[in-house]
Amino acid sequence: MENKNTLISELKTLIIESLQLEDVAPEDIGPDDPLFGNGLGLDSIDALELVVALEKAYGIVIPDEDVGKEAFASLSALADFVARERKSASPE
Amino acid sequence: MRGHFPLTKAIKRAILFFYISHMPKTMDFDFANRVALVTGGSRGIGRAVSMALAERGASVIINYAGNREAAEKTVSDIQTAGGDARAIQADVADTTDVENMFGEIRNGPGRLDILVNNAGILRDKLLMFMSEDDWDRVMDVNIKGLYTCCKSAARLMIGQKYGKIINTTSPSAIVGRAGQTNYAASKAGVIGFTRSLARELARFHVYVNAVCPGMIQTEMLHQLPENVAEEMLEGIAMKRFGTPEEVAGAVLFLASEKSDYITGQVITVDGGLT
Repeated sequence: MENKNTLISELKTLIIESLQLEDVAPEDIGPDDPLFGNGLGLDSIDALELVVALEKAYGIVIPDEDVGKEAFASLSALADFVARERKSASPE
Repeated sequence: MRGHFPLTKAIKRAILFFYISHMPKTMDFDFANRVALVTGGSRGIGRAVSMALAERGASVIINYAGNREAAEKTVSDIQTAGGDARAIQADVADTTDVENMFGEIRNGPGRLDILVNNAGILRDKLLMFMSEDDWDRVMDVNIKGLYTCCKSAARLMIGQKYGKIINTTSPSAIVGRAGQTNYAASKAGVIGFTRSLARELARFHVYVNAVCPGMIQTEMLHQLPENVAEEMLEGIAMKRFGTPEEVAGAVLFLASEKSDYITGQVITVDGGLT
């Protein structure tokens, strides 16, 4: 659980920085809030930015919209996704 | 007095050299530190675009499908002129080829500022006699080639928050031409693709436009029957064919920061054909 909390706060920073959410503080993003759609008011094109940022930061690829929907459902879901993908990704 | 004359000549030369080398340079466009990829960059319009970008400081990657000799010639011509260029082979219609090419770009220069989607082919036939292969191959290169290259480029450009994509369409897409149902359909597709991708990428400062060259003196023009070419000449307001360099002028503008408020547009370079 400790690891997941660390990852969640790491991801909060990544989201705020990559999407340039200047008026959003890390504590504004709840672990179960939807990231796109209603939550932060971000749309699917904003998600492209996060797709690229995740690839850069963790080397994980989001190949299609279905995977994206699952990964971006919430911060908690994203943390689970990143943890799982990182584990299965072969080291380069 | 002997030896006096050569000395003055040398001094004159030195003064002239100093003058020329210190003359204010009026560079039309500056692409220093920019990395550009030109698909189908070894010949015709692609070659002219590659040379023009390199001349203005861009590091140019020349993609070619099959003609390695032409690609190497363009690379060496650029290098001789003091520019930076390299060639990468890839069939733009082949996803694996394109992924490998972009892998080389990521591992090499590590960025891509300008993508010129110039690769294109003709397989002119009247529809009644057009084989499925003629149809598929034209669609694969002219349209799927945009899907493959733009998809890989978008990844890099979104991350950079900067990019210029320039696609190539044709007057055939607008006015139609007998024998070009495949080509015209593919080039009309380029316009829709350009306008749509422009909307997807604008917020990342990645701008997507197209050039629409008319009758340009390239190998593609020579593929047309002579009477067709002559007939076309009649319809051109300027009564002459264009040069690849004249198309490169429009590409340079769209690749430069001077066009930063332009996206999703088509610039026609056809001497008044349409």
